[in-house]
Amino acid sequence: MGKAFDPSLIVDFIPTLIYYLGVTLQILAASVLLGMVIGIAAAILRLFRIPVLNQLVILYISFIRGTPILIQLFLVFYGLPAILLFINIDISRMDALYFVIITYALSNGAHFAEIFRGAIKAVDYGQTEAAYSVGMNNSQSFFRIVLPQAIRIAFPNIANSIIGSLKDTSLAFTIGVMDMMGRGETLIAATAHALEVYLSLAVIYYAVVLVFEKIFRLYENRINRHQTVDVSVTG
Amino acid sequence: MIYLKDIQKSFNQQPVLKGINLKIGKGEVVTILGPSGSGKTTLLRCLNFLEKPDEGIVQVGDIQVKSKKATKREILSLRRQSAMVFQHYNLFAHKTVLENVMEGLIVTKKYKKAEAKRESELLLEKVGLGDKHNYFPSQLSGGQQQRVGIARALALNPEVILFDEPTSALDPELVGEVLSVIKAIAQEGITMVIVTHEMSFAKEVSDRVLFMDGGVIVEEGSPLEIFNAPKEERTRQFLNRISRDFSVSFLEERAN
Repeated sequence: MGKAFDPSLIVDFIPTLIYYLGVTLQILAASVLLGMVIGIAAAILRLFRIPVLNQLVILYISFIRGTPILIQLFLVFYGLPAILLFINIDISRMDALYFVIITYALSNGAHFAEIFRGAIKAVDYGQTEAAYSVGMNNSQSFFRIVLPQAIRIAFPNIANSIIGSLKDTSLAFTIGVMDMMGRGETLIAATAHALEVYLSLAVIYYAVVLVFEKIFRLYENRINRHQTVDVSVTG
Repeated sequence: MIYLKDIQKSFNQQPVLKGINLKIGKGEVVTILGPSGSGKTTLLRCLNFLEKPDEGIVQVGDIQVKSKKATKREILSLRRQSAMVFQHYNLFAHKTVLENVMEGLIVTKKYKKAEAKRESELLLEKVGLGDKHNYFPSQLSGGQQQRVGIARALALNPEVILFDEPTSALDPELVGEVLSVIKAIAQEGITMVIVTHEMSFAKEVSDRVLFMDGGVIVEEGSPLEIFNAPKEERTRQFLNRISRDFSVSFLEERAN
């Protein structure tokens, strides 16, 4: 146990910690964007059952779902440099931030892939037939007609996934990234007021999540404006 | 011009089309009647390869495709000869009424956006939806949606428009508005193939009526021949069942 609980410290800690929110959001933004690309690609490989790649994607998704993200983070942090060393690329001095982004992108990619796959299958096949009937080819029909509707269907789940991912970034400190959590750990080391630091962090994360939920809800209402029935899920 | 030769199609070893031969001339309006399961919708969908026939030749306009060796490219160019109006409308749910009509013009006809917009506005005016440009399909009644579907098909200026039971999903009071739009465009000389259960409409609009049953064309002829003096027993039975009093009212109409 540290020193006696002093709630007034929270007021001091929050500004210090919030200064590092940028790093957290940076990890989140980069890993979500990369995750989208991976997710859509993986979903397409699965939907069209591309031989070999389909099986690899299944394995990848199953592995990500079946292992804790903390372990994935260490596997990437220690494993990726080891693998790349075989082909004479030394990344052992690369900023730890990049390892975090890679890990979270891979993790998000697997989750997004499953969400997208379900959403794409949920779009009525009549939409594809209509696209064919006006003379579209496969990719035009997919990208212009099916995907935009799938994104609308997927959005509530994607939003939940992003919020989960935001909270998961708090593990980045374990490989030495100085994000909010990392700064919190150094504050604890310096002040021995652990409870106040964690309370401050809880307040900040909670506030950010609330803001995200609000933004997601607004966006969801926008993309659902062509729906007569309002489907509202987030948080 | 449409030309079908020996079209065969089975689903799970169950033959649905047993060798259909058919020629449809330019500007002709052909309706296909028949009990459900007779293969009429499948035949229509074979015309644009939404169903790939197992056997036979499909020609629409200048594009001829042999079912067995059909390549993606051939199927695409065949599809670009026709347009389809669906039973359940199948409007692009995420696009506005105007965008639905513009979509084909922009993507397959390579129109400039402004041009496509002008063209689409005219067509929407024509189907009586000039005031609904920015509505989404879900905000429209079934009849309105189907009229957008017709405008979307017309926009492509296709060799033929295929109608797959265009009024079957509509509330009875909305059927009229859709049929009158179809009648109006039939008079413009556009080739049309219509699968329908609306007997009086078929009688009024068609140049030729096909009666299908059990995967074959049982009988064909002018509406007068088919409705007044069907030669085949199966046609007679079907017409009796569907509209017991139809021929009477038809005769009365002609008498007046």
